[in-house]
Amino acid sequence: MNLLKALFFLIPLLLLFGCYDRIELEQQSYVMAIGIDTTDQENQYLFTFEIANPEVGSATAQGGEGEPPAEIVSVIGTDILTATYTANSVVAKKITLDHTKIIVASEEIARSDKFLSVIQSASRSPQIRRAVELVVSKEPAEDFIRNNEPTMEKRPHKFYNFMLSRAAQTGIIPQATLHRFFQITEGDADVFLAVYATTEQSKEKERGYEDNYIAGEIPQIGGSPTQFMGSAVFKEGKMIDILNGEETRFAHILDKTHDMDTFLATIPDPLQPEYRVSYNYAQKNKPQINIDYQKGKTAKIKVDVEYQVEIIGIQSLINYSQIQKYRKILKENITNRLEEKAKQLVKKSQEQYSTDPFYWSLYVRKHFKDVPSYEEADWNKNIYPNAEVEITFKLDKLEFGKMFDDSNVSEVRD
Amino acid sequence: MGNRGYLRTQEIFAMALIIISIKLTDSTPSLLAQKGQNGFWLIPILSFALILPGFLLMIYLLKKYENKNLIELFESILGQWFGKLIGFILFLFAFFAMTLDSRNYVEQIKLLYFPETPSDLIFIIFFGIVFFGAKKGIEVIGFTSWISFFVLNFFTFLIIVLIWGDIVVERIYPIFGSGLDHLLNQGYQKAAMFSEIFFFLIAYQAAKQTEMFRKGIVIAFTYGFFLIILFYFIYVSVFDYNSIQKLAFPFHDITQYVNFGSFFTNIETIFMIFWLIAAYLKFMILLYAAGWIFGTIFNIQNFDPVLLPLAFLVVTIGLMPFNSIMNELVLRETLFMIMSPFFIFLPFLLWGIALMKGDLRK
Repeated sequence: MNLLKALFFLIPLLLLFGCYDRIELEQQSYVMAIGIDTTDQENQYLFTFEIANPEVGSATAQGGEGEPPAEIVSVIGTDILTATYTANSVVAKKITLDHTKIIVASEEIARSDKFLSVIQSASRSPQIRRAVELVVSKEPAEDFIRNNEPTMEKRPHKFYNFMLSRAAQTGIIPQATLHRFFQITEGDADVFLAVYATTEQSKEKERGYEDNYIAGEIPQIGGSPTQFMGSAVFKEGKMIDILNGEETRFAHILDKTHDMDTFLATIPDPLQPEYRVSYNYAQKNKPQINIDYQKGKTAKIKVDVEYQVEIIGIQSLINYSQIQKYRKILKENITNRLEEKAKQLVKKSQEQYSTDPFYWSLYVRKHFKDVPSYEEADWNKNIYPNAEVEITFKLDKLEFGKMFDDSNVSEVRD
Repeated sequence: MGNRGYLRTQEIFAMALIIISIKLTDSTPSLLAQKGQNGFWLIPILSFALILPGFLLMIYLLKKYENKNLIELFESILGQWFGKLIGFILFLFAFFAMTLDSRNYVEQIKLLYFPETPSDLIFIIFFGIVFFGAKKGIEVIGFTSWISFFVLNFFTFLIIVLIWGDIVVERIYPIFGSGLDHLLNQGYQKAAMFSEIFFFLIAYQAAKQTEMFRKGIVIAFTYGFFLIILFYFIYVSVFDYNSIQKLAFPFHDITQYVNFGSFFTNIETIFMIFWLIAAYLKFMILLYAAGWIFGTIFNIQNFDPVLLPLAFLVVTIGLMPFNSIMNELVLRETLFMIMSPFFIFLPFLLWGIALMKGDLRK
């Protein structure tokens, strides 16, 4: 009898135990993007939550027509989690951050000292994943999220997902997960690159080529107003500069920890500089980075990049593919240009940031036996700014697409 | 219930493996990283090297003194009362290791999967299930461990495959982390991270033939050790030294971080289920072993009824530490420091006395 009584109490305990954390899908609002802005009050921030409307854009949903794809709410709070509870004064359902794709910080807050402490609170909660990407917007983050109106990918999670992964593949924006942010910031040696984006057109750059823009400068007609281009440079958890798309690509090329697919770019035609030659840059192997370091001496950093090029367009119609002499000139020209651009970026980082955006501190670490001696040698104050950097690009393959030759203009016009 | 001697090498292997290698999923790596920085993955190597001779010696002694389990071995070498005293110390170690560990696991479950549920309730349910499992006896636990072995291994290696792309090998440098002296010191102090293997020796007579037990436990110890090193290496190379010190549960941070492509994200629950199975098994084995040790010391032939009060005590004492940081960084660390010399030197002491008594010559 006693056993029966015990079971009578025990079984409900077992069965109902899970109900503490029971929450229906319907009762949750999934945040896709979080915006962080400064406010007039010290240590109070404006948080903007972009909450996806699951009924829009899915094939099965019946209702929800005429509803917007996302609800955007901004509230003031001290950290992200408490702000979600404040936001519940406006939003009917429990705000869940599990599916957050990006955190947008305005350039203003990113450049302030407070940024690190705001973002730190995100890592303490298990709700925000380390795969969340960090985006810096030129305008206040609230405006960025509100202005962002994708024309095709209406559903916000799809938009951010596709936008960031495609742009990162082409190298114009970096992969900027929170994971990487903490690694580099806490490692306190290199600079971290975050995605730079804007929805506001600034003065368009008059003479730009395909990638030497930063977001907001790209001349554009139609499409969504949001531009993702270039990267925000964070040193010690604080934004100090912006790299344009081209520089971001070089940061990718020289960094072993970044994955980058191929990208298309152009150079001035070596024989007729008023024309341009377009090529497809591909890098099959990661760059080889070797650092020679001895205590008290200048460090020597040697970087070897092996790359492949496929020529896709020659405006001048010069026959580069079959005349060996021209081919050699083109080859040297591309290599020189890449080396020169890479060196410029290295120089800029040495002089301006006094540390590198390539995560090169990793390769000097093997010269130290333990962390105290490594930290004492001081990569970003001592080793890197004074280092001699030698970058060699080596062209591995030069292809010319599926055509042997272009049509001969003089014969066509004849 | 009861032991009919059906356990073979593979069940012993599976059980021993679970209690050793589950160390890679809890807070032990963070505990080691506090002082070892990015050299912490080398600490288990030293600990292993320190523990292994003693462990092999124990196996040798058990083999020499046939038909005795661990406590009976103490008694016949050290005399009845002194043997029982050492046995009781061993029991206390097993009990507190289990208690502090279980608090850690309960915190993991609560923090990551059931944030609203009170810790007490999770603890009660968790240990309720562990108790029912332990009550089924060593053979059922053994068979369950062996059945789960392949699934658990599959998911362990799945994690390795998924995180592979994020490993940056250069992060293991500077190779000695906070310094070689720190690592050596820690390797000695934390040698008790393998203490579970000694508690498990109580089951020496459980296998069909004692040779099967010896084989199973030695293979499991080696394999578990390699798994630990492999995972600690992954933690270092994924998180780097400044971050690993701050993470309480690196294993769960990894399961939250990985995904199958961009469509299947947030997949940590899959791993959580299998991790939970392993955690249940670990505590079933430990609870059963603690009960067994207790039973042998006090000459309780059928020690089954001891399990319930033990489980109850684990829950009550486990809930006492103020928070998980205190539990992990103060209490568990202290326990490790007390246990380490005990497990390193005890086997040699036993061996020396046995040698002097001339027991080993027969």
